[in-house]
Amino acid sequence: MNYERIWAILRFILTTLFLFIIWLLFTATTETFTLIFGLFASLLTAGLTYHIFLPKHQASLNFILPNPFYLIVFLALMVINLYKSSFQVAKAVFTGNTNPRIVHFRTRLKSDIARTILSNSITFTPGTLTLDLNDDHLVVHWLLCSTIHNKAAGEKIKSNIEKSLKRTLK
Amino acid sequence: MMIKEVVALIFFIIGSAFGIVGMIGLFRFKDPYSRLHAGSLCGTTTVFSYLIALLILSPSIAITSRIVILIIFFLISAPTGSSIVSKFIWESEEAEDQRRSMQKEDKSL
Repeated sequence: MNYERIWAILRFILTTLFLFIIWLLFTATTETFTLIFGLFASLLTAGLTYHIFLPKHQASLNFILPNPFYLIVFLALMVINLYKSSFQVAKAVFTGNTNPRIVHFRTRLKSDIARTILSNSITFTPGTLTLDLNDDHLVVHWLLCSTIHNKAAGEKIKSNIEKSLKRTLK
Repeated sequence: MMIKEVVALIFFIIGSAFGIVGMIGLFRFKDPYSRLHAGSLCGTTTVFSYLIALLILSPSIAITSRIVILIIFFLISAPTGSSIVSKFIWESEEAEDQRRSMQKEDKSL
């Protein structure tokens, strides 16, 4: 068996497991009929969509499976960032002191999923908005801009999120 | 039991306050990007606070797991929506700039 075949089977199994866990969480029962039906449904869906769910060029398991401990740290950091920047934007709404500007910067993350998560978490916090993501190049609209220098702005926006995400996914 | 309800009430109040502030910002800001920021204050912080309050109040594990799934899907879907809107604004502005520069070139000819 060549490597592509093994990688395809591994992706198929991962997709099936993911779908079956979600089925278990949604139904929250352990009846035999429900379990068997969910298993067959997730096998069918995984067989049809595993090449879309996990693309072929995601070359290693590190790119897909997150480190569970650092994932929790990352989520906690996201919640703290969310409330902090919410307060800043709420203050800006009342005072009217905004300095909107579009900044460009690059990211060090390698996998597609990690880059998507980074741009999604930049959009998730109020005050920063991802306009475009091309390979490793991000275009971000920043409401409360403090520096004109692109690299410094990038460090200020993504600094701790990217560091934590790099430990979670490669 | 009481402490749970008080914490949930605090989260509900925080969420509602941010919702009102975001609504005010939606009318106070002038350009579309800043309005999207105010909108994300409404759409993200408010809904997230409400979901956390519901998570604290949930009576059984079955309902807790469902709310956790809701939070995960919300974390994926909420930024995607505002990102698509902002991307279309950006691309339309860029297209307009290109059209304007082409018109200028035509006039110079």
